Amino acid sequence: MAGGGGGGSGEPEFQIAPMIDVLLVLLIFFMSITSAEVLKVDRQVTLPVAPDALQKDSSRSEAIVNVRWDPAHKKATYVLDDRIYPQLPDLTKALAVAKKTGETKVAKGPNPTFRCVIRGDRDASAASVSSAMNCAAEAGISDIAFSAQNHE
Amino acid sequence: MKHFDPNAGNEATFGFQIAPMIDVVFVIMLFFMVMAGAVKVERELPSKLPGIAETAGPSESPDEMVITITESGEVSLNDEPIDSPTSKDLPALRATLTRLKRASDAAKTPTLVTIVSEPQAKYGRTVDVLDALAVSQIENVSFTVPDEED
Repeated sequence: MAGGGGGGSGEPEFQIAPMIDVLLVLLIFFMSITSAEVLKVDRQVTLPVAPDALQKDSSRSEAIVNVRWDPAHKKATYVLDDRIYPQLPDLTKALAVAKKTGETKVAKGPNPTFRCVIRGDRDASAASVSSAMNCAAEAGISDIAFSAQNHE
Repeated sequence: MKHFDPNAGNEATFGFQIAPMIDVVFVIMLFFMVMAGAVKVERELPSKLPGIAETAGPSESPDEMVITITESGEVSLNDEPIDSPTSKDLPALRATLTRLKRASDAAKTPTLVTIVSEPQAKYGRTVDVLDALAVSQIENVSFTVPDEED
């Protein structure tokens, strides 16, 4: 097997194969970190910026409510699991179902409570986000987290 | 010195060229390295909805603060306007909250902050305030919006 030193007599040889291995590993690393977060984003929601917010705890069982904002009509649209809920009572029912199914996972996981993550558009009104919180409260979820992004 | 002659007949074989491959891999890697710096990471600002507290033992009265956000983006701490409505970083609010948190920790009393936002105030402004609270390490935060009829 060829060693890295190239023997006692000659110059150390440049090994191309390990260099390609390292390059490919670096390439895969950078590819994975650039694509991992992008997959989850709802493109119609522009998250507000909070550089000092906590890192997302992905180990917990959660329901993610997207609050889209239509600036022309000044109206919010609520989306849970890619389904639009025009009526808030329907969202409450869907959250209650999500809590029930999520709590079976929670019982197995390390974190004890089911939570609701609200991904509100930065231009949305406070009242629309508050309505989403009310739905979560009516569904029996008291643990709420607001999503934000680290920079513009 | 040997030269590669593409017209040398059937004996010539196109060998695997390592140098262009490394060039391409380097370019792709540089692209992803640059993109990695610009990637937007989703973060969270936790909050708890007010509920029924268990009162088994004697409870300490918390240091309660109320932060009000108006429709124009003006932020007030206990009815005192603080920072300008256009300031996103809210430096005065951050400094005041950090000082109050330290004072509460020294007195061993919990700090409770309620954010009261006007119904038509922008949610982005609420997140600015929540970010300031995250810097001050205040965890007991609740967010409320009064009814529009009030």
